[in-house]
This record gives sequence, structure tokens and C-alpha cells, in this order.
Amino acid sequence: MSTRERIVVVGAGMAAVRLVEGLAGAHPASHQVTLLGDEPHPPYNRILLSAVLEGTHDPAGITMSLPDEVDLRLGARAVEIHRDEREVELADRTRVAYDRLVLATGSIPTLPPIRGLVRVDGRLDTRVHAFRSLDDCRRLDAAVPAARNAIVVGGGLLGLQVARALGVRGLATEVVEGGDHLLRSQVDAKAGAILARDLGKLGTRVYTGARAVRLTDEGLVLDNGYVLEADLVVLTAGGRPSTALARRADLDVRRGVVVDEQLRTSDERIHAIGDCAQHGMQVTGFVPPAWEQAALLARHLGGEQVAYTGSRNVARLRATGLDVAVLGDPERAEGQVVEVSNPVTGTHRKLVVRDGVVVAATLVGDLSRIGLITQHYDRGTVLGPSEPGDLLMGERPAGPVVLPDDAEVCACAGVSAGAIRACASLADARDTTRATTGCGGCAPAVRQLLAQRQSPGPALGTTLEGTPR
Amino acid sequence: MTRTHCPYCSLQCGMVLERTGRALEVQPWPEFPVNEGALCRKGWTAAALRGHRERLTTPLVRDRVSGELRAAGWDEALDLVAGRLRELRAEHGPDAVAVFGGGGLTNEKAYQLGKLARVALGTSQIDYNGRWCMSSAASAGNRAFGIDRGLPFPLADVEHTDVLVLVGSNLAETMPPAARHLDRLRENGGRVVVVDPRRTATAERADLFLQPVPGTDLPLALGLLHLLDAAGAVDEEYVAARTTGWEDVRRSIAAWWPERVERVTGVETAQVRQCARLLAEAGKVTVLTARGAEQHAQGTDTVLAWIDLALALGMPGKPHAGYGCLTGQGNGQGGREHGQKADQLPGYRMIDDPAARDHVAGVWGVPAASLPGPGRSAYELLGALGTDGGPQALLVFGSNIVVSAPNATHVASRLDSLDLLVVADIVMSETAALADVVLPVTQWAEETGTMTNLEGRVILRERAVAPPEGVRTDLEVIAGLAERLGSPVVFSTDAEEVFAELGRASSGGRADYAGISYDRIREEHGVFWPCPTPDHPGTPRLFGSSFATPDGRARFVAVEHRGPAEPTDAAYPLHLTTGRVLAQYQSGAQTRRVAGLPDGGPFVEMHPMLAMRIGAYDGEPVVVTTRRGELKAPARVVSTIRPDTVFVPFHWVGANRLTNDALDPASRMPEFKVCAAAVSA
Repeated sequence: MSTRERIVVVGAGMAAVRLVEGLAGAHPASHQVTLLGDEPHPPYNRILLSAVLEGTHDPAGITMSLPDEVDLRLGARAVEIHRDEREVELADRTRVAYDRLVLATGSIPTLPPIRGLVRVDGRLDTRVHAFRSLDDCRRLDAAVPAARNAIVVGGGLLGLQVARALGVRGLATEVVEGGDHLLRSQVDAKAGAILARDLGKLGTRVYTGARAVRLTDEGLVLDNGYVLEADLVVLTAGGRPSTALARRADLDVRRGVVVDEQLRTSDERIHAIGDCAQHGMQVTGFVPPAWEQAALLARHLGGEQVAYTGSRNVARLRATGLDVAVLGDPERAEGQVVEVSNPVTGTHRKLVVRDGVVVAATLVGDLSRIGLITQHYDRGTVLGPSEPGDLLMGERPAGPVVLPDDAEVCACAGVSAGAIRACASLADARDTTRATTGCGGCAPAVRQLLAQRQSPGPALGTTLEGTPR
Repeated sequence: MTRTHCPYCSLQCGMVLERTGRALEVQPWPEFPVNEGALCRKGWTAAALRGHRERLTTPLVRDRVSGELRAAGWDEALDLVAGRLRELRAEHGPDAVAVFGGGGLTNEKAYQLGKLARVALGTSQIDYNGRWCMSSAASAGNRAFGIDRGLPFPLADVEHTDVLVLVGSNLAETMPPAARHLDRLRENGGRVVVVDPRRTATAERADLFLQPVPGTDLPLALGLLHLLDAAGAVDEEYVAARTTGWEDVRRSIAAWWPERVERVTGVETAQVRQCARLLAEAGKVTVLTARGAEQHAQGTDTVLAWIDLALALGMPGKPHAGYGCLTGQGNGQGGREHGQKADQLPGYRMIDDPAARDHVAGVWGVPAASLPGPGRSAYELLGALGTDGGPQALLVFGSNIVVSAPNATHVASRLDSLDLLVVADIVMSETAALADVVLPVTQWAEETGTMTNLEGRVILRERAVAPPEGVRTDLEVIAGLAERLGSPVVFSTDAEEVFAELGRASSGGRADYAGISYDRIREEHGVFWPCPTPDHPGTPRLFGSSFATPDGRARFVAVEHRGPAEPTDAAYPLHLTTGRVLAQYQSGAQTRRVAGLPDGGPFVEMHPMLAMRIGAYDGEPVVVTTRRGELKAPARVVSTIRPDTVFVPFHWVGANRLTNDALDPASRMPEFKVCAAAVSA
């Protein structure tokens, strides 16, 4: 037992779950893993919370599985890292010894500068909700039935998901975004405008370039003078890496906990992954990169030679009626832009291409071929010069086809169009050629050929001798 | 006039053979329920190999001096083979001799081949090409249901389901008469969902077509299950009453939300959701998998994921619903039940089970201790040929290995390294051409025997014509070798007699044939196993009240997606997948020689976007390269395939020089359906 390395993970969110799954799969016997979760719930899939709120996901189905041998401690908040003793101290003063420590503390929502959010007693106004944890979700969910309207502060991905969820639940919902368009950190103004219009059609009003400044009994006051009635105010505007623990332990922290290619912090026994970590200049904030880091760290801890060089992220809006995908960072990525925008139909799609490779993309309003585009993006496929354009064009509708006589109509029996045309009737075709007697799939084509043969029409490619026309 | 069945696929369509003068003509047999008189062109032209100029009619022996094959008499050929086998056995032990069978052999042949190996040769080294057919579905079925029967219900049952999901099956081309059931299903108001990287003739008949990246059927199933659970569509009552393991699966699918599924599978979330809605709203759902889902290094797990989905919806055991596998080879089902699989004895008994050994040894009249243990699986067996400690001689029946094995160049080099290669076949197949001794055998209409079709229905092929002078039946070849090898027991050459013995050997096993007789098969349009006694009606439908597990409950199994064994990279940026075309069957040894079947050779199917990228034109040659080999063939440019994938049919030499030999850990199935490739014009 003593030879097993003790790995302690601070946090029991998405990245932590992925990490222990990877450790269990690769080297089940060589580690003893302890997970310290500060929430009282077993690990759950955080990104499904908006679907739970919307009512499209059964809340019981978001619990995630952990390998049996993991020591999961719930309600265990880490308050201090004693690096010299290699111990983590919990809020209840108990200590947990580690050989390797992994910080997966995630991010914490930032409180926007709105007066009146916090009451004089220091607690949040009862109308105000965050949307980060399962408890936040439950509390908001419970408040929905008694509310008529809701304001979502923040027009990012989370904000739009929450706004749609509340809209679907029947609340008059409005979105307030301080920037000049929705999803401003991901997409350009054209895409943002299309989204605002789509939301409008779905009954959700959007205020962009307007900041909420004060919450009063009348409602939420914007800096342009509007006062929006607000039974509920949901804060989704931003979060920041949760780094307090690392900071107190004197680890190198900038925006996030700084890690190297092995996801090591400035203490080689301590790693950091997910939203709390900063690799290069990057702090991610999304599940896919967090999972990549977690999977990679599991392999590293298992003794494999690995190096993290950054992630490709695909951000997808999960909200009924809104189609948005953002691949990479289309507003900042360098490359040539291939763009198809159609404000009439409400679609805006652009690919950023460098050396034939799609390095970033925005797809709004039309996600056709997204399955292919993300494959090309993820795999770094080198495309031909016309291909990015072709990817954004729809399939061309096929025109009417006149089958030449030698075209095969019935694959089962190997019968050509000409041979069918030489038949007097369906029964004749069946008996003399065996067409339609196999899988039966050619029956419509055979009937059509025979019908065309009997009525002089433009579709006929041949004239049959001795056949009355 | 003889009632019989088509020589090719697992549908085993009923047909009538009519002799007029010297000619043998194929006629419909409308009363046989599986195909109701319908046939595809392979069936209609099935008699064309009779009297074919390439038909082998004399044994051939490779001349030591010239290195050429020369005609020999039967006694000379069999004496030579038996003599050399005895020498090798004396020198290296019994496992120096290996046997390789096929899923196209009759039950009687498969049974006798297993007995030849275990009794006359005493070798553990026997396996067959069925490993490359539906072995992944077999291991998944055993794990989930405790039994491995391709379809647990008659195929015609699908006509009355509400939603039929076909995963990796192109039945409209591979078994065309089966597609009639799809059409009737839709006439009855049912819906069809097809999952395939290619929009095939089958997909054209679908109400919903999902086109995933090759090798991602597993996460697609998990994603659907995620949505079904989220929507509350899981049949909790059924799950509680008839299954175990759901909670594990439920926690594992929390990680497969639709957008993640989209990123991994390349199927848009809108389509995944649409499919989940169809399934959630249907009262009866039938899921059928085929090679597309199964021929992967994670084939077993992939099938298990789809079974999990069927179980969560409460379908297996319900009328006109459930899970099934569409077997490929003519006797893919029966061929694996009677002892040509490395780890099994007749009746689907496991060779390491002492009770099974006692029973079968008793029927065979030999001591149980004399039976060898489990041997190597097909691809591992071939990989061991000619190596230290591996077999030095190989007997091949009903298989064209150098065309059908993965990483075929490597396999051919293993065959080359053998001391003795013996091939029994009807024509000079690519594998026979490498042999030291070639034994000409009867084909299909010239012999009698039973097959077990994809439904588990045992059917009878009856002899319609006399074989040409000079050929022998496989049963005669096996008996002749057994005698020369000094077998302690006699091997019958009469098919009906062998079938009766097979029935006794299978009695009490999972695939129990004891109550089936040729007469019953004739009278009842086939009999479904298990059928333990002559007065037992047979079992068309399984799982109505319980599963074949010790506690009678089906098992949910949580599986995790690992992805293809060989991912794409900069040098090999495309997915290569392989498959079939309508006019050819398996390695093409038979169908490529039928004049009435078009034989255009292999081709490389690709999307216009890819063709444009590499400068390829329809009909012009392109070169496909993988880490194992290359193939030059004309491009076939179609918009029905995923642009990141190319497809090559495997009926010709070449495709399998490209494929990956990574094996499924449970079924030992190679990964035929996906590897990384490059294509250039």
C-alpha cells in the first residue's frame, strides 16, 4: 500500500472527474486518489445545468461516474497548502497528505459593479442569482414559478443559455450586455446582430452597449436610463480563475495558476488543470480544453512522456432555437477569412484559414456541415484552395435526370433503363428482366420509366421501335 | 426440382433448382418466408459455377523440383498430406498443425472440421474466418444476454416495429431481398434510421440518416442514450425487473452530452436529437448492427453500447422489438456453434468447461483428457504460422485468407513460411495458388448439408446435381485425412448421419440442435435453435420471459470510447473504410468467376471535395496508401460519402493489404472498418 502514490485533487468538477477516470483507466493500481469537493453533491456535469433549468434534462441524470477506488470527500473545502509537509488543510482543520497535488479549483463568478446587488446585511438581494453550481441552479429553478420576468446580465454563452432556458420556462426574459454585441469575446458584430435578432424572434429582448448600474425596488436600472422590471436577476457576466489557494501557497499565479507543458505549477509536486490554470497566455474556461489537460495529466502521472501545447476549443451554445458554434478564436486568429453572411436568412458563417488549415470558425444560424468542419479543424486537415468555400456552400439541388439506356436501374438483377423501356408493363418487366424482384427498391424508377415510355415526354432519352407513342 | 438455398450470404434465400437437360436453372421458391421468392443477381446466377472452366477437378501437388502445381491422384495427395502432418506432429507436437475453416461451410463440415482437429490431429490450433464476420456481436451478445444468436427473432418481425435502427448495415446491397422488409415496415407506418459513413442504397430508404466518422458508432449510441435518459424515456420498470447494471451506465453517459457527441462523431446535434426523439416516442424499437459497427478494435464495446440503448428502452424480449445482429456469411451463425472456433466445442460449449468436454468426448468416443484446450484466434493463428512454437502446417477449408485477412501482405508472408499449406476449394483461389497441395471439393448444389441463417433458423441445402468427376466432398476429404492420421474413431461422410451426431454433441448446450432432423427442416421451412427434443417446436423468439444469464436478467455494460486504433495524422489524414458491393460476395473467389455478375475490380470511393483537393477524376486511377501497403485503383467520385473518408470494397486482392490488424480484446476482431490513409492522384 505504501508504495502507491497519493494523489490529492482539490476540486471535484469536470476536470477532476476526467483526471481520475484517466488515472483509473491507465494505471489503476499505482495510485491512491483522493478527491476534495467543496460542494455537498457528488460530481455532476456542470455544463448540463442550463438544460436542467430549461427542463430538457432530467436533473437526476447529470451525476457523473467515478471509479470505485477513488476516495471522494464531499463538503471538503481546502483552505491551505502546506508545501513543506506536503499536506492540504481543510476548513475543518483536518489535513490530507499528498505525494502529488492537483489543483482543479475551477473559476468563480465575478460580481459586476451594480449597486444594490448586495443588501445592507451583506447578503445578495433575494432577486439576484448566480449560475455556476448545482445549488445555484436549484435555487433559480425554485424561484421561476413565482416570477414573471427575468433579466440576464451578460450576453456571453452562459448568459444566452440561461436566457433561453428562462424564456422556454415562460418568463419574459431580457438580456443586458455591456459590450456592443452579443458573444463579443467570441464572434464579430454581424454574428452578434443575427443572434440578437434571433433572440428577439424567440421573445427575448436584448440590450447591448448598456450596462446595469443599480438594482432598486422598481427594477434594474441601466446606464442609458432604462429601468427593467426584474423579478429575477441572473448574473452570468464573467468569472475568474479560482486561485486563492495557490496564491496563499506562494505558487506562481498570474491570471491563473501558471503551469508548464507537464501542467506543473512552480512547485513540481503540484499541478493545475482546467479553468484555474494558465498555460502560456491562455486561461481557457471551457470543458474540452480542461478535459484534454486532465487526460494528458493522467498520462503524465502514469509515467508517460507527454507535453501540453494548448487546446483547440469548440464552443457550442446549448440553447433551444439558437444555433451557434465557435471554433478557436475567430476574432483574433491570424489567417485568411472565407465568409458567407446572409442577414436575410439570419446566417453568418466564416472560416479563418491559414496554409489550407481551418484555424478558427464562426457558424451562426446554420450549422450544416459543422460535423465535418470541426473534424477538419480538430485534425488540422490541409484543404484544397476551393474547399473552404465549398464547405460553406449548400449541397446543390440535383436537376431532373434522364437515364441513358445503359444506366443500371435494378442493381439486384442487373437491369438497364433500356431493358425496362423495352418492356410493355410492370408485369412484363418483372417476368422478362427480374427487375423489382430482389430488394424491390427500383420499383418506383421502373414504374416511372414505363410511364414515360407510354406518354411522349421530354424525359425520354430514346425512341423505341414499334412502340405506339 | 430441388428446394434449396442460395450459396452466398446469411439470408440463405430459399430457391428452387430445376434441371432441364444438362442445364441447371434457378427458380423462385415463394413459400420460403425469409425471401418469399425474391433473389438478388448473385442468387439468380448461382448455378453459373457449375461446369465452369476454372473448376478444379483433380488434386494438385506442388512439384519439389519445378515448384509448379501438377495433377495428382487422391490417394497420392492425401497420403502426402497425412504423412507430412504426422512427421510435423512427431517433430514439433500436435500444435504444429493448424486448421482454418470458414463461415460458409455447412454445419456438418464445421462440426467435422472441429472434430478432425481435436480428435484426429489433437491440435488446439483451429479457428475460422467468422472471427472477421460477426464475432464482436457474438461476444457482446454473450455478455449482455448470455447467448449468441444473431437475430433473437425472425427477420420479418422488423416489419412491425415502430423504429428500426440499422447501424453499419448496407443490407439493400449485401442482402437485397432483406430490404423488402424495410419497405413493408415503412408501409406499416414505421420509420427507418440508418447509421453509416456512406449514404448507401440502404440509407436512401431511411427516414433519418446519420453519417458518423468511421469508428464513432459507440459514442453516437452513448449520446443517444444520454438524451433518452435526459428526456425520461428510460423504461424504469423494465430496467428494474429484467436487467442489472443500469446505474453504472447511467453515470457513464452523463459525460456524453450532444455537443460533445457532435465533435467526436461528426454528426450534427440536431440530428442526434432528432433520432433520440424518434426513439423516445416509439413504442417498439429494433436495433440491428452489422459489420460497420462490429469490425473495430472496439467492436464488442460498440455493440454493447447499442444493446445498452435497446435495454434502456425496454425492448429486448418485447414483441417486434429488441436488438439483433445481421450476420454476414452464409453460415456465419452455425459455423461458430459447432467447434471450429478456437475456444468452443459443438453446441456452443466452451472448451475449457469440464462438463462440456466430458459430454462431447462421450459423443465422440474418446477420453475427455485427450481433447486439447483453447487455441489461438484467427488472426493470431495466422500471425503465428511458421514462427518458433507456431504451426508449421495449415489446412484451409472454405476460406480465401490472402484476400480476406487484414494486413494481407503480412499474412501472405506467414503462409509462405509454412512447411505445408493445404487448401480445399472449388476454384484456384488466391490462397489455393500458394498451396503445396490443393484438394478439389464439391460445391453447394452438388452436396447436401444444413446451414443456420441469420435468424438462427436451421435450413437444408439439398444436392441437386452430381458433382464433376474427380472432386470429393469436404466430409470425404476430412474422413480420408482422419483415417490416414490414425484417428481413434471413424468419421462419417454422410451429411444426415453427421447432422444426427452433431445434434447429440450439441444436446444440452446453448445452441442445442438435438431435436432437429432433415425431415423436420423440410416440413417446417427450417427449425430455430434451441430445439432440444424432436417434439420441441424450436425457438423462433428468445428472451420473452428471461435471458440466458444465470439470473435470467440482461446485463447493462458501461463502455468508454477509445477511438480508432490508428488515428489520422498529417501523413495519413483520411479515414479508410472497407465493405461490399452488391454483385460480389466476400473474397470474390466464386462471384468474380460468374460471367453474369459485373466485375469492375476495386475502386476508391471519395467525395468531390476530396477529389478536387487531390486532383482526382472519376474513373482515373488514384493510389491509397496506409502504413501497411498501397493500392492503385480508379477513383469513384460520389457525394454520398463523408469528405474525410474513402471507401474501398474488399472483394479483390488489395483492400486488405491496407487494413489495420489491431484486434478487439474480447472478440479478436480486426479493425477492418477504419484506419488512417493517404490518397493521391
